[in-house]
Amino acid sequence: MLLLLLALQVRTIAIDQRLADDAGLRVGDRVVVSAAPGGAGDTVVVGAIVTRRADPSEIARNEYRVRLHLDQLQTLTRYGDRVDRFAVATRGAAGTTRALEEINDAAFGFHAYRSRDIAVETSATFKVVSRFHRAIGVITIVASAIFLLCILLLKVEERRRDVAALRLIGISRASVLRSVVLEAAFVSVLGSGVGVGIGWVMSAAVNAYYQAYYRTPLRFALVTGDIVLLAVALSLALGIGAGVLAALRLVRSAPLALLGR
Amino acid sequence: MRIALALAALRRHRARTLLAVLGVAVAAAMLLDMVMLSTGLRESFRQLLLSRGFQLRLAPRGTLPFDTEATIPGASEIVRLLRALPGVAAVSPVLGAQLHVPRDSGAVTAFALGIDPAAQGDYELVAGRDAIAPDAMVANDDFLRAAGARVGDTLLVAAGYDPQLRTFTGERRLVVAGRARFLYLSAGQPAVALPLRTLQRMTARLRGTGEGGDDVVSLFMVRLRQGSDVEGTRRWIQAHVPRVDAISTAGAMARVDQRLSYFRQLGLILGAVSLIVGFLLVTTLVTVSVNERMGEIAVMRAIGISRAHVVQQILLESAAISLGGALLGLGLGLATARYLNGILSAFPGLPAAIDFFLFQPRAAWTALALLAASGVAAGAYPAWRAAGLPVARTLREEAVA
Repeated sequence: MLLLLLALQVRTIAIDQRLADDAGLRVGDRVVVSAAPGGAGDTVVVGAIVTRRADPSEIARNEYRVRLHLDQLQTLTRYGDRVDRFAVATRGAAGTTRALEEINDAAFGFHAYRSRDIAVETSATFKVVSRFHRAIGVITIVASAIFLLCILLLKVEERRRDVAALRLIGISRASVLRSVVLEAAFVSVLGSGVGVGIGWVMSAAVNAYYQAYYRTPLRFALVTGDIVLLAVALSLALGIGAGVLAALRLVRSAPLALLGR
Repeated sequence: MRIALALAALRRHRARTLLAVLGVAVAAAMLLDMVMLSTGLRESFRQLLLSRGFQLRLAPRGTLPFDTEATIPGASEIVRLLRALPGVAAVSPVLGAQLHVPRDSGAVTAFALGIDPAAQGDYELVAGRDAIAPDAMVANDDFLRAAGARVGDTLLVAAGYDPQLRTFTGERRLVVAGRARFLYLSAGQPAVALPLRTLQRMTARLRGTGEGGDDVVSLFMVRLRQGSDVEGTRRWIQAHVPRVDAISTAGAMARVDQRLSYFRQLGLILGAVSLIVGFLLVTTLVTVSVNERMGEIAVMRAIGISRAHVVQQILLESAAISLGGALLGLGLGLATARYLNGILSAFPGLPAAIDFFLFQPRAAWTALALLAASGVAAGAYPAWRAAGLPVARTLREEAVA
């Protein structure tokens, strides 16, 4: 096939999966590419269909991507013998530094950058989104903390009569305190477990929805070990704190007062 | 009487009530913020698009305005065609490019707009004169600061740079005639505007001998007369000017909706979660409160207080918590919206005039009404339990306990 194309002198292009799906194109199809709508163009053959990488910078940009041979694109766009950038592979970190210095010392009208530095410059969008998510996360944590505190206070206060009975049969304040705090911790851990499960299901749903919506393999929500650990630790700390507060109120009251007498 | 009893019941457990009100306040603040986020961004963008009265925008086919470097050839002919349409009041052709002001240490690069000063809708003149003369330009504060220039100064401005010869190309001396505020540009972006013909000539060499020569623009903005059929005109342009995509304000909104749908959906999801959290909090609190007061409610019923009275009192308790929380949340929500808007305003490429969290009274009332309704609904279950209380059995159990 390739030899046949060479014989016919028809160039090949690579298109992305999105364009192939929307335009109903398959490998081997002949298409005309031009620099402007309706302008003069070249007939080319679709040589490959490529899947895009999970690149966050392409999110929400419903663009199609076509890869042509450099000389063909230069001719089509009347760009001349020019390129927008060069990518240079180096051997190790020292090689990168040396290449940067040598290129920048000898450069005529252009500048060499490390890929890492360019990534930092071009990630401004994600920094903003990340800051926004962090702020929303803090508000959510505050709301959850108040909710948890309230629920645990109610839960412990429900035990007024049990605590009174325990105190009346001679169980010490410390034992009562420990049992109440243990119960609060148990409820917190149980709730965290259920929460992690819901979070995992939600993140799977979010990923499935947005991956289909934006047609990207990018993962939008991640449940990592660190996040689970933070959620459980926060929930446990709040639960124990609420438990201690509520239990102290109970054990400091006289047993008969707890019974309402 | 009912209100007094409801408030007394809430005062009996001050700490608990305070926590519940705080919880509802945070949920209300989040709900308000998310309602503002899901509706405000769209409204803010619509206001910006219509701020100068242009209802249609014509971009190179397959692109959005200034989304790529594509241009529309044959600009003069298209302007003549559009101006001849009966419903068209004004046509503003715009060419976008980058200009450089050479300095000892490099160059100041600015976004440049080639405009027709008589019909432009891209900036508001703040001081000085408009860019009417061929060698005049107006600049924003960011450009003046970066270039160290003032109104009245003459600057050597270049359209490009030849890396082979290490020289600037398309150079021209331009006078800073005025200071302007650009409407559609992001904050901190140095920008200038100059007559369209001047910019076309300066940038002609960069485009080479491409189609259309130097008679190209990046965008047309079209203002229609009052009462004109916007969609009909858009369709006519789309059919008769094949090299452009005619985009109405509604069409632009739809595309923006698609691009920024993430924030709208996030707003809806977090808003719904906030509402559920507020609802659960009030339901739990009032249910526990009613459970603790079973004996008291049984006594009230025994001495002749009606079921309706008991139900109303419990609903009032939940409504009071929700209302208190909602009012507190309104202030909290406005403060957090301002903070969050500050974060998102740094979004690269978005016009500085866009507000992600636009306060609209309707949005605030919607949030408050939703929360108040959920507060009353939250009291429904405990109220139903209290109303169906078996009076004699409950009194006996309370006496035994």
